[in-house]
Amino acid sequence: MMDLDTVKERAGPREFSPADDLPREYREAATRMIEFHANSEIMGAYLERPFIRQSPSIDRKLAFSAKVQDEIGHGQLLYRAAESLGVKTREEMLDDLANGDGKFLNCFHYPLKSWVEVPMISFFVDGAAMRRQATLRRTSWEPYAHAMDKVCFEEGFHVKHGEDILKELMTGSRKEQQLTQGAFEEWWPRIIQFFGPTDDKSTHHDFAASVGLKQQSNDDLRNAFLDQYIPKARKYGLKIPDEPRIRERDDGTYAVEEDDLDWDEFFTIAKNEYEPGLGQINGRKQAQEAVDWVCETIEADAATARGHEPQAAD
Amino acid sequence: MATPDFSEPEELTARERRALESLIKRLADDEFVLAERYTEWQVRAPTLESDLALANNAQDELGHARLWYDVLGDLGYTERELVYERDPAEFRHSTLVELPFEDGDWADAVLRSYLYDVAEELRLEALEDSSSPTIANRVAKIQQEEGYHREHAQNWVERLAEGESNGGEGHKRLQAALDRLFPHALTLFESCAPPRGANDANDASGDKPRAAGSDVEADIVDLGLRTATLEELGEEWLAIVVPYLESLGLDVPESGQTGDGEFEFEVTQEMLPDERGRDGTHTDAWADLYDDFTHTYRELGRSEPTKIMEIPE
Repeated sequence: MMDLDTVKERAGPREFSPADDLPREYREAATRMIEFHANSEIMGAYLERPFIRQSPSIDRKLAFSAKVQDEIGHGQLLYRAAESLGVKTREEMLDDLANGDGKFLNCFHYPLKSWVEVPMISFFVDGAAMRRQATLRRTSWEPYAHAMDKVCFEEGFHVKHGEDILKELMTGSRKEQQLTQGAFEEWWPRIIQFFGPTDDKSTHHDFAASVGLKQQSNDDLRNAFLDQYIPKARKYGLKIPDEPRIRERDDGTYAVEEDDLDWDEFFTIAKNEYEPGLGQINGRKQAQEAVDWVCETIEADAATARGHEPQAAD
Repeated sequence: MATPDFSEPEELTARERRALESLIKRLADDEFVLAERYTEWQVRAPTLESDLALANNAQDELGHARLWYDVLGDLGYTERELVYERDPAEFRHSTLVELPFEDGDWADAVLRSYLYDVAEELRLEALEDSSSPTIANRVAKIQQEEGYHREHAQNWVERLAEGESNGGEGHKRLQAALDRLFPHALTLFESCAPPRGANDANDASGDKPRAAGSDVEADIVDLGLRTATLEELGEEWLAIVVPYLESLGLDVPESGQTGDGEFEFEVTQEMLPDERGRDGTHTDAWADLYDDFTHTYRELGRSEPTKIMEIPE
C-alpha cells in the first residue's frame, strides 16, 4: 500500500485512480468530500423540485425540469466516483442522507418559498458551485475530476438560465423587483457562507489540500466569487446589503468581514441540526421510504433469478 | 364535405376551426397535464436511474404539449390564453392524466404510463395522414419518443407484475392501480365538449346551445384531421391492453370485450367515472394542480408567460 508521504509527494491533478492501493486516510477523506458533493446535488434538487411546477411558463418549466434532472444525474455520477474509493456504497450514502447522518451544503438547508428565490440558488449558489467545481477538475482522485468535466459543462447552462430568471425578475414590475431584492438580502449571507468557514476555522482543509483533493482554499474561492458576482448583482439592479460588511480593496477586489456572518447558525446546519433543513432531510427520507417496496421487490427477484448480487434498475 | 386547406388557417370556416381546435386541445392538454404529474416523481422515484428516466418522459411530454399548443398559435392563440389564463373548466384532458399519485405508488406511475402510451401511439398513427400538414409534420418527431416511453413503462409493469418475492407486493399494487385507473383511461376515447366561444362563431346572438361534442368529433374525422374514429381507436386500444394485462395475471375491469374474444368499444355510462375531463368536468385534484402550476404567474402578476426557446419547425 502506498504510504501517506508518497501520496502527498505524488498528489497532483488526476494522479490517483482505483488502480492505486491508497491508504485509508486518503480514501476516507476523498469519500467524505465527494459524498458531501453528491448529497448536495440531491438535496439541491429536492429543494428546487416544487418550482418545476411553479415555473411561470412552459419554457421555464422545461428548462427547470431538465435542471433538476441534471442534478440527479450529477448525484449519480458523484456517488459512483465516491464508491470507487471502496469505503461506502451508494446505498449506504443515500441511507445516511435519509437518516440525517449525511452532510450537504449549508444553502440547501434553507427552505425555498417563492419563485423570486429561485435565482438565489440557480444563479448565485450555482455560480459559486461552478467556481469551486472548476478547481476540482484538477483534484487528485481521477474519477472525481472526470465527473467534474461533465458537471461543469452542464452547470454552465444552469447558471445562464438562473441569470436569465434574475434578469427577467429585475426588469419586471416594481413588485417583482422588490420581492427579488428582499430574497437577495435574505440569501446573500448564506451564499457567502457557501464557501465555508475561513481557512483557520476549517477542520478538513489541511489534509485535503495536502493530498491534492482540494485545489483552492475557502478564502481564495470566496474572494474570487465576490470579485465576479458583486458586479453582476449590481448590474441587475440588486443592492448589496450593508451586512456583512464588504471591503473593496485598492485593486478593486473584495473581502468580507467574517465576524458579520452567523457562524453559530452555520455550524448548527453543518451538524444537520437546523430546523428547516431537518424538515427537508426528513421529507426526502419519507419519499425514499415510500418507494422502498419497489427496490425490495425487484432486488429480491434479481437476486433469486441470477443467484448473485442485485443490480440497480433503471 | 370538401377537404379544406388547413395550411391556410385564415381561410377556415368557424366549423373547421372548431374541429381543429378541439382536436389539438385534447392532444396538448393530455400531454401537458401528464407531464405535470410525471414531474412529481423527480427526486422521488425508486432509484436515481428511474428518476432520470421519468424526468426524460416528463420533458418529452412537455415538449409535445408545446408543439401542439403552437399549432393553435396559427389560429391566433397565445400561451397565456391556452395555459396560464385558461379557465380550468376549459381544459379537455382525460381525467387519467390529472389524477394525483399516492406517495410512493410507482405501480400507478408505470401502469398509467403504459395505458396512456398505447393510446398515444394509436392516435398518433391516426394523425400521420392528417389533412392538416402542420399536424402531420409534427407526428413523426413525437412518435419517435413515444415508442421509448411505452417500452420503459412495459418493462416496469412486467417487472412489478412478475415479482414473486416481497409477498407479491408489485402485483397487488398494480391490480389496485388498474382498478382505479381503468375507468379513467376509457375517457381517453370520449369526445370533447367544444371550447367555449369557438362554438358560436357563426351566431352573433350567442344564444344557441353549444354544439354536441359528438358533432365536433364527427367533423374531426370528416374533415380528415384524424383518420380514425374514437371508437376505432378505443377498440384497437382494448385489443392491445386487455390481453397484455391479462397475460400478466391482472384482472381487467369491465372493458367491452365480447364473448368471442373480439373487442367492441361499447362504453356504457356505468363504466366511466363521474368526471371525464373531455367534457369539461374534472376531479378536485385538477383544481389543486391548476392552482399550483399557475401560482407564480399569479403571484407575480404576470401577463405573459416567458418564451425562451424557439419551436423547431
